[in-house]
Amino acid sequence: MTRREIAQQVVKITARELNMNAADIKETDNFAMELGADSLKSIELVAAFEEEFEVSVIEEEALKVQSVGSAIDFFDKLLNKQ
Amino acid sequence: MKSTRVTLSQIKKLSQQGCTAHNWKSVTLSPQCDLSRFRNVAFIGKVTVGKNGGSLSDGGTEMPCGIYNAAIADCTVGDDVRIANIGSAIANYFIDKNALIENVASIVAGADATFGNGVELDVVNEGGGRGTKIINELTAQTAYVQAMMKHNDAFTRNLSTIIEKKAKSHSGPGHIGTHTRIVHCGAITNVNIGAHAYVHGAQSLENGTVNSCKEHPTEIGEAVQAKSFILAEGARVDSGAILDKVYVGQAVKMGKQFSAENSLFFANCEGFHGEAVSLFAGPYTVTHHKSTLLIAGIFSFYNAGSGTNQSNHMYKLGPVHQGVFERGCKTGSFSYVLLEGHIGAFSVVIGKHFTNIDAPNLPFSYIQEGEGISKIIPGMNLFSVGTVRDGEKWPKRDNRKAPVKRDLIIFDVFSPYTVEKMRRGRDELIALSESTSKDKAYVTYGGLQLNRLLLRKGAKYYSMAIARYLNDKACARIADAMEQSDDWNSAISLLKPRSRLKKLGEWTDVCGLLTPRERLATLEEKVACGSCGSYDDLLKEFQSMYDNYRADEWQYVYETFFKEYNIRLDAITKEQALAAIEEWQKAAISFHSMILEDSKREFGPIAKIGYGIDQSDEAMERDFTAVRGSSETNSVVQKLVKEGNEIRQRYTHFKNKLTTSG
Repeated sequence: MTRREIAQQVVKITARELNMNAADIKETDNFAMELGADSLKSIELVAAFEEEFEVSVIEEEALKVQSVGSAIDFFDKLLNKQ
Repeated sequence: MKSTRVTLSQIKKLSQQGCTAHNWKSVTLSPQCDLSRFRNVAFIGKVTVGKNGGSLSDGGTEMPCGIYNAAIADCTVGDDVRIANIGSAIANYFIDKNALIENVASIVAGADATFGNGVELDVVNEGGGRGTKIINELTAQTAYVQAMMKHNDAFTRNLSTIIEKKAKSHSGPGHIGTHTRIVHCGAITNVNIGAHAYVHGAQSLENGTVNSCKEHPTEIGEAVQAKSFILAEGARVDSGAILDKVYVGQAVKMGKQFSAENSLFFANCEGFHGEAVSLFAGPYTVTHHKSTLLIAGIFSFYNAGSGTNQSNHMYKLGPVHQGVFERGCKTGSFSYVLLEGHIGAFSVVIGKHFTNIDAPNLPFSYIQEGEGISKIIPGMNLFSVGTVRDGEKWPKRDNRKAPVKRDLIIFDVFSPYTVEKMRRGRDELIALSESTSKDKAYVTYGGLQLNRLLLRKGAKYYSMAIARYLNDKACARIADAMEQSDDWNSAISLLKPRSRLKKLGEWTDVCGLLTPRERLATLEEKVACGSCGSYDDLLKEFQSMYDNYRADEWQYVYETFFKEYNIRLDAITKEQALAAIEEWQKAAISFHSMILEDSKREFGPIAKIGYGIDQSDEAMERDFTAVRGSSETNSVVQKLVKEGNEIRQRYTHFKNKLTTSG
């Protein structure tokens, strides 16, 4: 997957899980501060990304991801490494 | 105490000092008595008084011993006691030496008083059925089996006989212990007060016992009203607390107008402001806030947020619904739980739940409410810094100082009890995951909505925690064995468990005491058949469970390790041992990193909201750091960092030892 495709998926899943409009989500958005994802919601988001990208992430590394852009980079690195 | 009947000259002197007697022949005094230290005393019935030459102080002012302005009826007064300004009378009491009783309305005991012993409390189920009798020697364990094991008639009947016998042994005249101070109180009726207790300003005390000792004096303070109660050593009840049918355990703190009825509180509980009804508060149950009602439930190692409430009444057959909050739970501010409910160990409840929750096999979970729907996030509390902090703080905050610690407590957060529940939970989550279509967003579990995506996630968290626990215990034992023998085969032969229990997969929490269910079942049989026939026997049985915990735990680890990895630890190879320490390190580092991340969130952008009001960002940062510190200076975070290093060191040390051993 290209970074662009990953970005589209990350935004789509984020919008679905946080019940938001995808158009309102920017790469610079912080999941907690701007999108209101508390730690519980963050776990659901990670689980949704895992299912969508068919990968299993290392939990402690996933928890370090703070923004939409860093999530895109995280999965880009993970998927394209595999 | 040697004493002699008063002589005519003594009667004359006492009479001149305003003293009277119904019958002077019934009054005996120590030969060393200073008669000038009796003023306006009415002797009623048989009264004996010891020597009174000393002085006692309350609040720093030394006051002479003796009896002043008091009616004393059928009492034995020990040496160097001061009794002064008693409103009506002190009757039917043995008052031990060096006691101070001043400005008290009355202290009276009836002939058939049992001082709170034998009073039955309707705990857990407000409608009754879980009647639990309180006695001076009550423990969390003997209360638990009374309240929670009603399934076996013979056991219940015989246990009740044992408790009643013990309760009756406490009848007799009232007793006020040595060095006790009772000052500025209202009526005290049928209350025993133990040695070194300090009772000051209590409004009314009726039918109770204040157990106390030199090592840990018990205190009752201002405006307390207590009826049908027993306080254990080191308890402190003050500032307007209202108790009715209550047991207050060792080192419990209670006050600030807290009210409780039909409730038990065991070691180190704290109750302020709020209300308890039919509460079985196991060790470390804490409720500090107003508007918090804990009702009809059993809790332990529990923390109640403000406004916490449960409902035990569905307006059908009365208040008959009960709740079980397994050890380590927390409820957030204004959380509400509809009973019946059963919350798994170390779970956090947030929000209002109008569904009957039944999730004991999903410990360490978050149970939250959103838009009126109750949801569970299984295993999420495993990597909360709060859980780590709680696990460390409880043993350190064991404030009991009495020579005998009545409640037997196993503090372990990760134990066969919680690990076995996680194993069940993991298997249930995997089975649900496999049987649930990807089209479904949620499944229902124990009345809760569970996001399908979290089925595998929860199972993964539990698997990590199970792996960490089993490999930690296994590697620690292997390391110990290698210290004892240089030869590998000899060393690992030491890993064979010495416990020989049959059902090691079933554990129970006897209100603080973790034990295999098999041991509790054996106790049940012994009581039912009469071979455990006294209260002392009962205490010995529980002590034996406590003493055997580590051996039983090891048998559990040994057998569960085989179930999980198909490896018998007494036949483990060095390669397998190396794999075990690697598995442990992987899980431990993973958890540790998540907990560290969680702790660092306490210093993240959200934590800084509201700091440096109307000032620059830089000032906001400085304000926050001044108040909260930083992750670099916070002791909990730094301890976690240190622990991360220790994990790596332990791994390296074990690996080196393994590769160099014979």
